Amino acid sequence: MEGASGAHHRDPFKSSVGRVAGQRRRQQAVTVGKERRESVVRAKRLRRADPSDHGDDGSMQPAVMGDEAAYKALEESTVNAVHNLKNLLKGSPAKRIGALQTLRHLLSCTAMPPVHVAIEAGVVTLLVDCLAFGSSEEQLFEAAWCLTNIASGDLQQTRAVEPALPLLILHLGEKSAVHVVEQCAWAIGNVAGDGEVFRDVLLKQGALHSLSRHLLSPVPSLSRTAAWALSNLIKGPSPKAAMELMKIEGMVDTLVSHVSKGEEDLVVEVAWVLVYVTSMSDLHVTLLLNAGLLPPLLGCLASSEQLSLLTPVLRTLGNIVAGDNSKTDVVLSVGQSLPGGIIGVLARCLESKHRTLQKEAAWAVSNIAAGSILQKHTVFNGGVVPPLLHLLATAVFDVRKESAYCLGNLCVAPKESREQGGIILEHLIALVDGGCLPGFIALVRSPDVEAARLGLQFLELVMRGLPNGRGPKIVEKEDGISALEELQFHENDELQTMSNTLIDRYFGEEYGLEEEYGPGMDVLRGSDDSSDYPPWRQGGGLTA
Amino acid sequence: MQYTEETVKTLSSCFLQTLAPTLEPRKQAENFLKGAADQPGYGITILRLLSDPSVDEEVRQAAAVNFKNHVKYRWVTPDPDFPPPLNPIQDPEKDQIKGLIVTLMLSTPPKIQSQLSEALSIMSQHDFPSKWQTLLPELVVSLQSATDYTIINGILQTSNSIFKRFRYQYKSNELFTDLKYCLDGFAAPLLEIFLKTGQVIAANSENLSVLKPALECQRLSCRIFYSLNFQELPEVFENHMAEWMGEFHKYLVYTNPLIQETNREKSSIIDELKAAICENINLYMEKNEEEFQGYLGQFATDVWSLLMSVSLSTSQDWLATTAIKFLTTVSKSVHHKLFSEPSTLQQISESIVIPNVMIRDEDEELFEMNYLEYIRRDVEGSDMDTRRRIACELVKGLSTHYHEQVTALFSVYLQNLIQEYAANPAQKWKEKDCALYLIVALAPRQASVGATGTDLVNIEQFFDTHIVLELQVQDVNSNALLKADALKFFTTFRSQIRKQLTLKLMPQLIGFLVAESNVVHSYAALCIEKLLALKDGKQLRYTASDLTPFLQPLLTNLFTALKLPESQENPYIMRCIMRVLSIADVGPFASQCLAELTGILVEVCKNPSNPSFNHYLFEAVAALVKKACQRDPEQVVVFENMLLPVFQNVLEQDVTEFAPYVFQIMAQLIESRRPPLPQNYIAFFPPLLTPILWQRQANVPGLVRLLQAYLQKAPQEINQGNQLPQVLGVFEKLIASKNTDYQGFFILNTVIENVSFEVLSPYMSQIWTILFSRLQYRSTGKFIKSLIIFASLFVVKHGPSKVIDTINSVQPNLFLSILDNVWSPNLSTITGEMEIKLCAVAASMLFTPLLEGSATPYCGKLLNSVITLLVKPEDERIDEEQDVPDLDEMVGYTAVYAQLHNSTKTEDDPLKDVKDPKEFLAKILGGVSLQQPGKLPSIVQGLESSNQTALAQLCSTFRISIV
Repeated sequence: MEGASGAHHRDPFKSSVGRVAGQRRRQQAVTVGKERRESVVRAKRLRRADPSDHGDDGSMQPAVMGDEAAYKALEESTVNAVHNLKNLLKGSPAKRIGALQTLRHLLSCTAMPPVHVAIEAGVVTLLVDCLAFGSSEEQLFEAAWCLTNIASGDLQQTRAVEPALPLLILHLGEKSAVHVVEQCAWAIGNVAGDGEVFRDVLLKQGALHSLSRHLLSPVPSLSRTAAWALSNLIKGPSPKAAMELMKIEGMVDTLVSHVSKGEEDLVVEVAWVLVYVTSMSDLHVTLLLNAGLLPPLLGCLASSEQLSLLTPVLRTLGNIVAGDNSKTDVVLSVGQSLPGGIIGVLARCLESKHRTLQKEAAWAVSNIAAGSILQKHTVFNGGVVPPLLHLLATAVFDVRKESAYCLGNLCVAPKESREQGGIILEHLIALVDGGCLPGFIALVRSPDVEAARLGLQFLELVMRGLPNGRGPKIVEKEDGISALEELQFHENDELQTMSNTLIDRYFGEEYGLEEEYGPGMDVLRGSDDSSDYPPWRQGGGLTA
Repeated sequence: MQYTEETVKTLSSCFLQTLAPTLEPRKQAENFLKGAADQPGYGITILRLLSDPSVDEEVRQAAAVNFKNHVKYRWVTPDPDFPPPLNPIQDPEKDQIKGLIVTLMLSTPPKIQSQLSEALSIMSQHDFPSKWQTLLPELVVSLQSATDYTIINGILQTSNSIFKRFRYQYKSNELFTDLKYCLDGFAAPLLEIFLKTGQVIAANSENLSVLKPALECQRLSCRIFYSLNFQELPEVFENHMAEWMGEFHKYLVYTNPLIQETNREKSSIIDELKAAICENINLYMEKNEEEFQGYLGQFATDVWSLLMSVSLSTSQDWLATTAIKFLTTVSKSVHHKLFSEPSTLQQISESIVIPNVMIRDEDEELFEMNYLEYIRRDVEGSDMDTRRRIACELVKGLSTHYHEQVTALFSVYLQNLIQEYAANPAQKWKEKDCALYLIVALAPRQASVGATGTDLVNIEQFFDTHIVLELQVQDVNSNALLKADALKFFTTFRSQIRKQLTLKLMPQLIGFLVAESNVVHSYAALCIEKLLALKDGKQLRYTASDLTPFLQPLLTNLFTALKLPESQENPYIMRCIMRVLSIADVGPFASQCLAELTGILVEVCKNPSNPSFNHYLFEAVAALVKKACQRDPEQVVVFENMLLPVFQNVLEQDVTEFAPYVFQIMAQLIESRRPPLPQNYIAFFPPLLTPILWQRQANVPGLVRLLQAYLQKAPQEINQGNQLPQVLGVFEKLIASKNTDYQGFFILNTVIENVSFEVLSPYMSQIWTILFSRLQYRSTGKFIKSLIIFASLFVVKHGPSKVIDTINSVQPNLFLSILDNVWSPNLSTITGEMEIKLCAVAASMLFTPLLEGSATPYCGKLLNSVITLLVKPEDERIDEEQDVPDLDEMVGYTAVYAQLHNSTKTEDDPLKDVKDPKEFLAKILGGVSLQQPGKLPSIVQGLESSNQTALAQLCSTFRISIV
């Protein structure tokens, strides 16, 4: 009797550890925190001195911050430059260009250019005029550069650039000179970096198609800038733009071929495009894999040491393995050619000292570990467990949380093969013996509700899964009960219910007395639980 | 409703009357307002009334409360599936209210303001931000323009309650979109006001009337900081971290004798601000340690010196605990090295831990005046925020990285404390208390077998020298606190104490049951109870025979303890009684116990107030019934004579809380009887069918069980009394709801089993109609399963043709349609060993009549399902499905049904003679092959291939051939 009802019993946490990881892919769309990409500040790029006029670099040293007088002077010169430009607008082209150059110098000589005063002085309308059709290349270039740096400011400053957008997009056309196109793309990229509202405006005005043409440019700096601007444009959270981009004919092959060529600076930018595409469209993941994305992508992972490259590549990989298990299988099999396999490569990333890499790698591992039973075994035996245990015990909070997802997923059987009531006992025992429990208990005590839930789910696995009732004892020994008790009055209903249920079930007053009273004990736990018992048996009404 | 002089007058007088001391006018006014609240425009009218300065202050306040409740119950978004019980406020009126409330809230006097702030926060839970885009800008503009701190704090108070949800909801795109919106709008003005107020505080250190509200403003800002930073570190806060942390530091070290609280029980505003800051830096330390690490050193120093100066007064409890929590977090983190110096560890232990663990006068007072609260904190884990507990958490935190050092330190402290006590027991008892508290608290928290040990002392040795001595003192009333400590120690380490020694101490434990101190006798009961529940493997460590020598004094003292002052309803004692009765051989004492328990029952019936005591009381009665009656049915009469009058009283006086228990125990009594039931039971039966009893959800399970007991033991009497239609009426009511339908099937199944078909047949057509219409309109997976089980039971009990005929009597050929659309497709979802057997056997029995009729085409599907049911493991057959309970039926107060463990029922197999349903199926198919050869092979060919294989295997196992 007990066995039968036990098997039918629906356990609230059984498979949820796995499910949560799978769903997390799209939850990353809205962020409030700083995006940590360490070496590259991606969303916005100020264009400092031009590589062609190296001579200026020395003479135009940025004003020392804090030197207020110098900055005041800079602001003053900027305002004067704007007025000067206004006066020369109708004048000779050469003088106009000269005025533009002065302005551009002022707007690019420091990390904090005096954009606000320029805007107040009415610079944008003037620059829009300078972008008019038929203007000289040089004028267009200088105007676009000024706009680029204005758009690198805060939200208000970006908004000021809006009137210039149609013309900037227009100059992305095939007939424009390469350095003009690149500068316009740069400006657009900065605008797109400032949120979905601007991205929508740009999309409506057709920036996506114009930019995408230049991905194939033979000029390396242009294809790089185009890729970067596109990556900003398709960020979402809405997947519309990414879908639009991938509908362009030949896009899949273009992206794959860029990754294959392995020119690192370009791969960085393309990989960011891939990050957003793979996070939003399953279909395109399939197409990219079919086009041969994986061998070069995984190649980068194994060969590069560059943080700026590894970050987007790892994240793309994480997105791919967040899809269905067949894609993970492809990743694993392609990865076999790498030393230690793909799991070995990920293990090395986990061992890196960079928090970003640790986190991205753990995220990818957690997705693979959420897959089929075979995939779980591969991960488990692939060398990630020691670094994960280490991270869970010592890393910063968000890395600990990611590691916990990995370890939790390794212990939960996939739904289709429920061995031992959803637990992969071999893994669970090894991890508990490896000393993971204190780490999970620390998560239960964490103020982060998601982490606390994760910790609770793992404790549940341990208490239910370990043979001979060892689970509750070891949780007890690691002082897990007081951790559970702390959640009993939590404002989050689910955490409260989960901790209460666990305490009742494993440490409640009936603890150890079930046999004595028989299965009827469970009825006390409330109508939700009892509804799981086949109906008439509960009343036991069949006695003749 | 319009705002006219007339309405103002009417409503004003109504609100005045709701404050009337006499019941009648108050009720009248309340009813009038209830009616008025249904009219559109009521909310806005009340809002105007309460903000009208010409209206009487008392009326305005009453109106404000009324408005808040109005919003609470009616500010809902209508859901067509679940119409709310009260008319919701319409959108246009909602918009009007939204437009007015912020301004009104900020311009009304404090008592009204607090109500409006609460109302606003309720509204925001529904509408903010997506449906209330103006709120945040409005708050920000008011905040930026306000100079009066009453207004500023009003705005911050409201904002704080709006943002609180970011503290406990899960991350999702929706939540983050809202959070981002709030950050974009509020983070900058918050910092602005925080910095500005900082200057105000600096400039007004002498001016109390400015200082206090300004500090309150900072406290509220800190709480908002906490909410906005809770999910993750927002970019805008990271960018301004230096400013925030700089201010935090300033306040942590801020001192000003002017603002010290004169009331020693109340915490001062600056302490509250400091505590809020500790929570913020603790949050950063927990989640953003990397970004925060630059500030850590400074804050550790600040908090450290803060703790050195915090007094032991209760008014500083909150500050002390939050500050210690911060140090605990640091001690567990990667930055634990801050504490690595031996001198630092020592200083923390001596200056922070030990003083905070020492018992205070307040704790002593609690020990004497409020024993339940003392116990709750001392042993039940509700001491989460007490200084003692938090100080021990700090020790545990330090042990994470410095286990050996900390253990060594504390071993010495313990020795010293014990020695100090030994040298001067009369004066230094607090030292021993402290030592015992530390040992117990630092052992991992335990539940099952108790703590298995500690590194600090050798438990057995310590127990022998320091605990046994305490327990063996002649006077159970001397030095009560240490006695309680010793008993708690015993309870905690109970599994480590040898059985022989425990039994030797049993008389002492029993003696403490009648100690004067409520804590002491409660702990004695708790200790005995936990000892009796202790198990080695699956065996109870202490058996009935171990208990027998002590039984008489034990029971005597337990019941005596319940007569001690303030312990008349002591749940620990009653629980111990329950445990003793369910384990011991009570034989000779049964009637004495019954008399005692009945006496208590009579008393608590008069005013049931302590649910856990009452639960254990009924549990104890059930245990006694189980022990005594089920062994010796003759005893039943004795029990009935004692209990039934009390039960009758419960039902007559309508003691709602007890009815569910009474039904269970009555069922238990009936079940242990042999038929026929005596007349007094039969007389009890008709009142049980009163609808009002069944309307209370909590009654239903117990009543169903009782009804089943009657149906089993007295089906004839029920039929003769013509009560079957009423029983079926109950079935019909229960079956109508998703929440109770399975209870309805319990009754129906019992009826089918115990009542003859002749009696039943007039009702069958009606029963099927009820079931099928429920199936048609509100079916659930669970309902279908129950239906199949019922039909199967019917087949097995009365034969397949009766089932087919009665179903077809509802509508010609209905049976085949049900079979094909419901029965066959869902048969394989049945779970449970007994249920599977029942349903498989019943389905097998259908083949003969089906094949004899012209229903051969239906047999394939059925056979396929039966084989699946019998062969495939449960996991592969069943998709998990979740039925949604009927929410609308769960509205309103209901007592909770609590199942009595000691009164659970045993289940019986309806098919004892069928051993193996697979064999049964094979035999049936073999029989069909003999009688109607040629029919089966074509059916078999239509089966799923895996089932064909399985069937072939069955045939060979049971030597049957299908032809």
